[in-house]
Amino acid sequence: MNILVCIKQVPDMETKFKINSAGDWIDEADTAFRMNEYDEFAVEEAVALKEKLGAGASLTVLSIGPERVKEAIKKALAMGADKGAHIQDDECFRKDTAQVASMIADYAKDKGFELIFTGLQSQDRGSAQVGPILAVKLGFNLVTTVVGFQYDAGAITARRELEGGLRAIVKTAAPAVITCQLGLNKPRYPTLPNIMKAKKKELAVIPAAQVAAGAAMVNTARAFHPERKGAGEMLQGDIAQVADRFVKIIREKTGLI
Amino acid sequence: MYLLALAAVGFMAYGLIQRVRALLHAGKSTADIKLQIGRALWQTLAQLKAISHGGAAGWGHAIFFWCFLILTAGTTLVFIQADFTDLLFGYKFLKGGFYKIFSLALDLAGLAAILAMGGLFIRRYIFRPVGLASEPADALIHILLFLALATGFVVEGLRMAATELDMNMALAQWSPVGLVVAKVFHGMDMASLTMAHKITWWIHFLICLAFFIAIPLTKLRHIFYIPVNYALAPAGASGKLSTMALDDETAEKFGASQPADLLFKDLFDTAACVKCKRCQDQCPAHATGKPLSPMKLTQDIGAALASGVGSSLVEAVGEDAVWACVTCRACEAVCPAGVEHVRKIIEMRRGMALMEGRFPGDEVVRALDAIEVNGNPLGAALAARGDWAEGLALTGEGMEVLYFTGCYACYDRRNIKVARSFMTILGKLGVKAGTLGKKEKCCGEPARKMGNEYLYQTVAAENIESIHATGAKKIVTTCPHCFHTLANEYPDLGLDPQISVEHYTTFLAARMASFKPNGPIAPVTYHDSCYMGRYNGVFSQPRELLAAIGAPVTEMAKSRETSFCCGGGGGRILAEEKLGTRINAAKAAMAGDTGAAMVVSNCPFCLTMLEDGVKTGGLEEKMKPVDLAELLADRM
Repeated sequence: MNILVCIKQVPDMETKFKINSAGDWIDEADTAFRMNEYDEFAVEEAVALKEKLGAGASLTVLSIGPERVKEAIKKALAMGADKGAHIQDDECFRKDTAQVASMIADYAKDKGFELIFTGLQSQDRGSAQVGPILAVKLGFNLVTTVVGFQYDAGAITARRELEGGLRAIVKTAAPAVITCQLGLNKPRYPTLPNIMKAKKKELAVIPAAQVAAGAAMVNTARAFHPERKGAGEMLQGDIAQVADRFVKIIREKTGLI
Repeated sequence: MYLLALAAVGFMAYGLIQRVRALLHAGKSTADIKLQIGRALWQTLAQLKAISHGGAAGWGHAIFFWCFLILTAGTTLVFIQADFTDLLFGYKFLKGGFYKIFSLALDLAGLAAILAMGGLFIRRYIFRPVGLASEPADALIHILLFLALATGFVVEGLRMAATELDMNMALAQWSPVGLVVAKVFHGMDMASLTMAHKITWWIHFLICLAFFIAIPLTKLRHIFYIPVNYALAPAGASGKLSTMALDDETAEKFGASQPADLLFKDLFDTAACVKCKRCQDQCPAHATGKPLSPMKLTQDIGAALASGVGSSLVEAVGEDAVWACVTCRACEAVCPAGVEHVRKIIEMRRGMALMEGRFPGDEVVRALDAIEVNGNPLGAALAARGDWAEGLALTGEGMEVLYFTGCYACYDRRNIKVARSFMTILGKLGVKAGTLGKKEKCCGEPARKMGNEYLYQTVAAENIESIHATGAKKIVTTCPHCFHTLANEYPDLGLDPQISVEHYTTFLAARMASFKPNGPIAPVTYHDSCYMGRYNGVFSQPRELLAAIGAPVTEMAKSRETSFCCGGGGGRILAEEKLGTRINAAKAAMAGDTGAAMVVSNCPFCLTMLEDGVKTGGLEEKMKPVDLAELLADRM
């Protein structure tokens, strides 16, 4: 059985973000990158399933982006994926979610994947759209926000996280796209022998031009830091005076009372 | 008689060698062992390790050893004369003045040995120190040694009663103890004396043979194994770890999961251990209720070896014990047998980390991940690494000193103050200093001590490249962990050995004249960090610097070589302390007991731990943790 896991490399969230000169995304200088956290859950789940299925299963890890994303692919290979595919695209950040999904679908269409795992969303742009659009493009079943996953001869039983702390058990069949949520599993720490083996695993590089992205439907007009709101004000002192002052501020600023 | 003696000695030698041969085949390659025979002889004969940190029991052992050595030498001389020189050549050297001194020395040695034995017996069986386990074999050893000494005196007394008493009192005076015994037999007829002498001689002889036979069967084997263990101990920087060959493509295994993966010396340690529990008494993990005793660890590895070279080490030792270690090396500092505990623990951690991706907690995995991605375990932004130095004059060109700042001094608010104090000092000294800025990464020490040699070597290689690119000839650190790693470990990975690496303590101690008091200062206590103290022998310089600025130092109950760790070593700074009580609280309490107003340290981990320990221990009003650099900066 062929399994695909789609991962994205994202900036570390502790980065002191600066906007690039074009004003449409972050400046990547001095930025540390890592595998999108939700994609780590996807890799772990895919590797665990592959190990369970045994010799007949093969796991491919795919990522789109500039040269640096090879690091994320290598980590997934060290975690246990069999081979890597890198769609080399330095302008990836200018593509919208439908284009990214189209590129993946175009790559995947003739490779006989029965299951595709990916993260619920990316930590940097957070649209949570690539997985669902990909499922539509490939005509696969789709289960999102998965926190529990079982696979038995084509039958999928997944536990989904719903709003308000609810859970739902859903059943579907392969082929399917599964988007993974925090709580699904604990991603493994790559062992040294696996890191060494990963260095020798196949890593195919595919120029972006070779996969069809289609036209953009959404363009980023501007990326910016949210404007600083005014600093908070501490009211201290005599309770009666504080209360008077509080009422005055609320009245001035909101007109509610 | 000689056949019996030969058989006993042969049995002893066979037993001792058999045991070691099993070890030789079990452990890893022994090819790189360089025996330090001279050092081993000196350490053994002078009983250096038995005495230091051994208290009265250590002295008891040393006195007994020296006495027994004299008795053995004396007996050997008698044997040589009686059965060799006199028998074959009619030559006697035990005569005249020499014989008198000889008799006196043996007599007194025998008496002192009995007294030392008595003292040690009272300690073990009457006072029963906590943690000292006694086995039936220990009782047997006491009985054997006591009987050997006692029957020796009876034999001597009988001989003197027959040949010296009433006849040659001038000579008898030189054997005062024998004389006392001889007087007991005074008046017996010659035939009875001769018969009694013959019988007790044989009893004495058989007891001595039993002693030889007991050596390989009981912990008496330490008589031979400990000197050998001293000889096996490596020369060079103490606590230095082996740098693993990670690019070895034929290697399928890293670290130690079974006894066969350990070095011969590590296995030999288990044979040399005498379970004296000195290590256990010093262990901060043990003292705070964690499931680690360095003594038990050594014994457990020995037991694992006995059950097979392929048995699981971590199962035998216990995973929690392996992760509890703070690598402070207090155990090794006091071990009279020269056992090296920490290397074994690191090898087991390497096995778990590199082969299984196993760590003591998720927080450790997150910190390691942060080192990998952000270059620091705190998860702070890579690009913010140089922010601490905002407004300070740092040099790129013409740098005299490269200040390897370290993660905590770069990012941790409390330790940034230390870094800035050190820069103030350098400014006042007129030393042009620079840093690696954003290029600096974690030195890798905490990751390495957690077993992740791969991550350590990755960041180390990047740091070495950045250091070489600056052309710096001198590196100074404010962190003892950075210092130890750069100075003693990085050269293995290619750091130019021409580059000198110093911790600021020694760097400033060499400029002692620049520091002076600026008025009265409250009494302080100084905390010896493990990596400056035990690992690198820097004990006096910080105290001299404190003296130079007029700070009166009150020492803690444990200091210098037996200093009690803050709890942050061995990568534990990255880990939550889930078992037992908090080491930093115990440390802060120990510092608080001195009544000092400040506890001075010179390590960012120690400062962090002490700040925490002082808060949780409710000592905030009484005592303030400070870094030595902070005190020095205002006193120049």
